[in-house]
Amino acid sequence: MISISSKLSGALLLAAGVAIGALPSPDALAQARDIKIGAPLALTGPLADEAKKQEVVWKMWLEKVNAAGGINVGGTKSKVQLVQYDYQSDGQRAAQLAEKLITDDKVDFLLSPFGSGHTKIVATIATRYETPVIACAASSESVFDQSSKFLYGTLSPNVGLFTPMIKHFREKLPSLKKVAVLGRDDVFPKATAQGISAAAKAAGLDVYYDQLYAVGTMDHSASLSAIKRGNPDWVYVTGYTQDLILARKQMQDLGVKAPIITMLAGPAYKEYIDGLGNLANGITSSSWWHQATSYKGVGVWPTTESFYSEFVAKEKSDPDYVHASCAAATVLLQDAIERAGSIDKKKVSEALAKTDISTFYGPIKFSPNGMNQPRDLPIIQVQDKAVKVLAPSDIKNGDMALIK
Amino acid sequence: MSRRTQYLLFALWVILLASTPLWASNYVVRLAVTIAMFTALTLSWNFIGGFTGYPSFSTAAFFGLGCYAGALSERAGVPMLLAWGIATLVVGAFAAALGAIILRLKGHYFAIGSIGVVEVVRLVISSWGSLTGGGDGLNLPLLAGGPNVVARIFLAVMLAIMIVTFLITVVVDRSRLGFGLRCIQQNEDAANMAGVNVTLYKVIAFTLSALFCGTIGAAYASWTGYIDPSDSFSILMSIKVPVMCLLGGPGTILGPVIGTAAFTLLEEVFWANFLDYNRAILGVVIVILIFFLPGGLLGLSYRDAMARIGGMFGRTKAAA
Amino acid sequence: MDYLQTLVNGIVLGTLYACLAVGFSLVWGVLNVINMLHGSLIIFGGYLTYFAWHSYGIHPLLALPAVSLLMFAIGYLTQLTMINRVVNQPVLTTLTLTFGLDLILYNFMTVYYTATPRRVTLDLGVVDLGGVVIPFDRLLGMALALILTGILYLMMKRSKIGRAIVAVRMDSAAAALMGIKVNSIYAITFGIGSLMAGATGAIFAMVYPVTTNLSGAYLGKAFVVCVVGGLGSVQGALVGGIVLGIIESFAGQFFGPQHALTVGFLLMLVLLVVRPTGLTGVKGYE
Repeated sequence: MISISSKLSGALLLAAGVAIGALPSPDALAQARDIKIGAPLALTGPLADEAKKQEVVWKMWLEKVNAAGGINVGGTKSKVQLVQYDYQSDGQRAAQLAEKLITDDKVDFLLSPFGSGHTKIVATIATRYETPVIACAASSESVFDQSSKFLYGTLSPNVGLFTPMIKHFREKLPSLKKVAVLGRDDVFPKATAQGISAAAKAAGLDVYYDQLYAVGTMDHSASLSAIKRGNPDWVYVTGYTQDLILARKQMQDLGVKAPIITMLAGPAYKEYIDGLGNLANGITSSSWWHQATSYKGVGVWPTTESFYSEFVAKEKSDPDYVHASCAAATVLLQDAIERAGSIDKKKVSEALAKTDISTFYGPIKFSPNGMNQPRDLPIIQVQDKAVKVLAPSDIKNGDMALIK
Repeated sequence: MSRRTQYLLFALWVILLASTPLWASNYVVRLAVTIAMFTALTLSWNFIGGFTGYPSFSTAAFFGLGCYAGALSERAGVPMLLAWGIATLVVGAFAAALGAIILRLKGHYFAIGSIGVVEVVRLVISSWGSLTGGGDGLNLPLLAGGPNVVARIFLAVMLAIMIVTFLITVVVDRSRLGFGLRCIQQNEDAANMAGVNVTLYKVIAFTLSALFCGTIGAAYASWTGYIDPSDSFSILMSIKVPVMCLLGGPGTILGPVIGTAAFTLLEEVFWANFLDYNRAILGVVIVILIFFLPGGLLGLSYRDAMARIGGMFGRTKAAA
Repeated sequence: MDYLQTLVNGIVLGTLYACLAVGFSLVWGVLNVINMLHGSLIIFGGYLTYFAWHSYGIHPLLALPAVSLLMFAIGYLTQLTMINRVVNQPVLTTLTLTFGLDLILYNFMTVYYTATPRRVTLDLGVVDLGGVVIPFDRLLGMALALILTGILYLMMKRSKIGRAIVAVRMDSAAAALMGIKVNSIYAITFGIGSLMAGATGAIFAMVYPVTTNLSGAYLGKAFVVCVVGGLGSVQGALVGGIVLGIIESFAGQFFGPQHALTVGFLLMLVLLVVRPTGLTGVKGYE
């Protein structure tokens, strides 16, 4: 009845176990066999769009690496396989699939899915199995607080989003005083809302409005009306693209005006600008990366330009920071394997810890908790429906315009 | 199927699940844990949905509440097992109190009310950020030990809960309570007039349906190491559990066990092979279930099924 | 002053809620079926409208009737072929069935359209009535919602079919005895429910982003509106919607936006226990 499939799989696994036991030792094999990288992806469900971004760049990297013969592991080139499964945006499944990738598919390394919550879940499993896992889309410190020796993240901590922005805006608007913060009650948007609020207060600004809205909110009129009453100099809203599109529209409808309006991560995504048209003009934001930067570094994409042009040629649209960070994750992994000279999990993990490289995405060097070191993150603004980089000064290509 | 056979089948199934660490990979062991977990949830639901006929969709609320009660206790330093005990009691008390109010509703209203409960509890937990971490979720202290050890521990735990719920089902089934609940399902007013303490029985059934959801939630939280409101209070879970019970045969002892096993294994097959459309296929399975298996797998009469299929294609009746 | 703005926000929002819920309410009240498909049907209507606008330049107002008719047909057929089989069965069965159908529709939409939020960018500006600001597209939405529900109300009261529907709602056995083809009425009612969902989707496409992610949120709102207002009638949906809109608006102002949704659901739970027939006192089946 039902037990048959379990029994069958059990029998097969037993047979496989015996067969593998009879093979030569792992180290001898390591040089000859393919490198397997596992990727649980939320290809269906609410996180599908983000997962597809990850999939796209990982496949790009895979093609390039294998076309060059593979990764150089201590002198021999080994090709790379990417094993991916759809975990349907469900946390339980993410855990299940992470474990499957490690125990059944016997992957050497894991690439973490989008989002802090699911990254945490996958990282827990990976740590138990002492498998290195690289997170390219998780920036909340809470994800990295378990001092796992195997979790590394390419995104710099959220804090780099706040202080430089406050400084820059104060320069452009010396009278900046009243700030309103509206955040979505969800891991990343909440963390950033709280972050900017704390940083603004520490800088002596008057954060007169500081609230979170529930997931699933269809209407922001109440909050926006309250914000309007305070005559803000700076309005800061966090959430996912649909929330931000709605909020911007309602701000327009209700006549909420401010010289500076920041939305995170809105303008970093093309969907946001497409969805708002001219209403997107003037909106500022931060991003972990923008194509206007000009970094040089190791890996299959030696310069920002090379990544950008290849991406545009393939996808016919601009890459955003998720694309870049996740592509950087693979570049990082390759570099770590090459430095370790082996695909032994412990050795690669040690190599990851010692990373100090430059890539098309920017510098990668890890703090003790596994996060990429903090740095001043680019501040961007939408001008004429295109994104301009306002800061840091070495990569800027536009000047800030206050909203009239 | 005689009682003896039912108990025997259950025992064999438990042994099979328990033995997975000996002959299968950790992935299969995880599957076994999941099956045990959902079987216990379905057996619990069976009390209020199967025996009593009240379509509760609150399973996710009880499970989620258990997750948080357990997680908060553990983070406050309470030892794991005790934390699970606390979660069980908290959820049980919550269900008893809630039941006294909500069980006055019937049919559709009860169904909607039970869904509303899930939403309200999720929203409350979500907004009480200072206590629960809100949208950030909560980290739990990780259980020490390599993956094999952890897998075995949680397999044992979930199986234990599964066995306990099964035993309680057996006891209830043969007791006055079970009889009373079935009377209530048939005709509540008549049961009332016949002297059944309808309110008390309903509340007991509802509390039973919640109690072990709490334990499971707490254990699950310890296993995963991290919980957040959307995953803990998933409406999908609230729908899957009744479907599993319906699939096996509601109101029976073995029905929930068979239904969960069949459903979970079906899911594995579909999801592994039909990446993009797995939700749609789940939907199709549900539709087929509703049309062709009204009594679940246990209630299946092959003659009736053939007649039904025959009826769809033409007016001829199948030979009696 | 400020309260006036909040009140107006609430009323405008409320009429949108009413439009969202009226189809759901009708199906529940008449067929005794909780239609879990409702949220996804709204989104589907939204996608049809969006693509009509995006690919062919058809203005949503023009697309509205076409989308509505298409959705009516879809609903009618769905009911006739699927829902009719289970229409007299307990709520667990019907709810689970519509949930299963919803999974299918939802999955197809997510695969075909992807969950990327789409917006019909009309940028119609705002209307300023003495200090109270109403966005024009919401005002338009409100007007359409009122027109649609008004038409529906008249139809239910005056037309033969409308009265047949009411008769079936009150007592399906008696209605059958009076010569009403109950199955046909069921199908028509479900068709109307889908029509209203599709029309709502078309209206919403002008006001909100269209994405499958919102399907659950819309469905949840429909639940609350029905319980608050009362089942199976247009008045019930209107009253429920507007009351909910106003309450959410004020709750958002006094308790903060975090709690606005919670208040709505709590209200629903309280009413379920205290007065399940809702504010208009129209009783649904149990």
